[in-house]
Amino acid sequence: MNRILKVVRLQLIQKMTFVWIPLIVVGGSLLVSILIWAMIPPGGVKYSGGGQAIVWYFVAIGVQALTLTFPFSQALSITRRDFVLGTLLMAVIASAAIATLFTVGALVETATGGWGVNGTFFRFGWLWEQGWWAAWLAYFAAPFLLFTIGFASAAIFKRWGTVAVVATGIGLALLGVGAMWLIGALDAWPSVLETLAGVTAASLALLGVLAAAVLSISPYAIMRRAVP
Amino acid sequence: MTTVIEVQHLTKRYREQNALDDVSLELRENVVYGLLGRNGAGKTTLMSILTAQNFATEGEVPVFGEDPYENTRVLPRVCFVRESQKYPDDAKPGHAFAAARLFFERWDQELADDLVKAFGLPVNRRIKKLSRGQLSTVGVIIGIASRAEITFFDEPYLGLDAVARQIFYDRLLQDYAEHPRTIVLSSHLIDEVADLLEHVVVIDGGRIVIDEDTEDLRGRAATIVGPTDAVSAFTAGREVVHTQSLGRTTEATVLGALSPDDRAALAAAGLDLAPVSLQQLVVRMTQRATDSPGAGARAASRAGAGALGLADTDADTEALR
Repeated sequence: MNRILKVVRLQLIQKMTFVWIPLIVVGGSLLVSILIWAMIPPGGVKYSGGGQAIVWYFVAIGVQALTLTFPFSQALSITRRDFVLGTLLMAVIASAAIATLFTVGALVETATGGWGVNGTFFRFGWLWEQGWWAAWLAYFAAPFLLFTIGFASAAIFKRWGTVAVVATGIGLALLGVGAMWLIGALDAWPSVLETLAGVTAASLALLGVLAAAVLSISPYAIMRRAVP
Repeated sequence: MTTVIEVQHLTKRYREQNALDDVSLELRENVVYGLLGRNGAGKTTLMSILTAQNFATEGEVPVFGEDPYENTRVLPRVCFVRESQKYPDDAKPGHAFAAARLFFERWDQELADDLVKAFGLPVNRRIKKLSRGQLSTVGVIIGIASRAEITFFDEPYLGLDAVARQIFYDRLLQDYAEHPRTIVLSSHLIDEVADLLEHVVVIDGGRIVIDEDTEDLRGRAATIVGPTDAVSAFTAGREVVHTQSLGRTTEATVLGALSPDDRAALAAAGLDLAPVSLQQLVVRMTQRATDSPGAGARAASRAGAGALGLADTDADTEALR
């Protein structure tokens, strides 16, 4: 355990990646959103999708954790297992921090009447239907899932190259199309749509965490034989 | 002396090419090794496999008696910074050293700080903005300050100027004297590192062609200096590895240990003995190993011999092996 925590500290030695850049991205997109809302004549609630910017950033850190930090971890004689576990723990911590930031941000948003300009940056109604905890879980699941997508793709790239990454993407798309065909063939669209309409924030978030957990296993399996 | 690494019939195959071909090698405790060879000879591959960064196709590489792969009893005692080492994005040398301090138990921060000063490394500039030489310096400092029981240096001098290289050699030797450990220095600047090396391993085309203590290796040849005519007379009939003339003085390196008769002849002719160039010796012996039957014809290295002005001789090479 101690060695895994050291990997977390290794990832945090350089605070830019996991601390300052996420804060700058969230703060910057919020500021831009508020300025734009202020220019729009008052009316109904104004929405901004700026909050998702940070989530996509997690794909990039997932990729970099592998392509750059993994070779460095090898120079520090860290085992692959400790590196993968420590890095995933780091992603969990960072995602939890983002989730907390968004939850608190949403509360502030409500308290200040949408930052004084009736804007919505953090608090999307549907996510909050079940309460703050479901929203927190959704805010946690999104960056964590995207981190593991980046991490797993980079692991595939590192071990087998670009073609393998593209092939995996196409393979997954084909599976999706196959599922759609199956649903059509079974005449199941109405019931599927009904189920989708009934999806709650919490169940979607749990699904995301589950997918992320599955994706987390793959990097270690792949990295076992990867060369830095 | 205790053996720390025992390479047994190690082969690494990439598709159709053997990067390492049935390599067997023993590394002992507290010895400075030179891992010499041409670019692409297999030096980096060998060091990567010994530190579990890469994988053997066949063979075993027990390090401290155990398989190093994912082994937390072995890996923390070993340090291998690659020549093309990557660092986390936006990391500065200071970050890299702080990270190394976390993982190497014997890390000496004072030494690291001292080396930073000696090399004049800017610790607050991002690593990706450093020059090639400064990048090499980061790896060199991690290697020395980690004090790992087995430390590998992979062409550590790339991009370093002559002054920085001398600082590296001096500081490495100084710290090795105070804290003995096994050091493997991979290099193709053979003469420059020659004085550091206690044992020489030469690898060529993925095979070990020399594995010998430096002194013994130097004893296999002699360098004679004196008037050109007298030197020619003495070297006639011997295998000459290298000759160099300046005015009417010639320096020639001949293979084969000198007999008492030879020494008497040298004294009578007024010829002097000079230190043997390890580089010339290694180049010649590598040549010979590749030219020997079974190793396969390597046109490129033959051409290289011509370029180096090496005499192509039919002398009985086996006698010297």
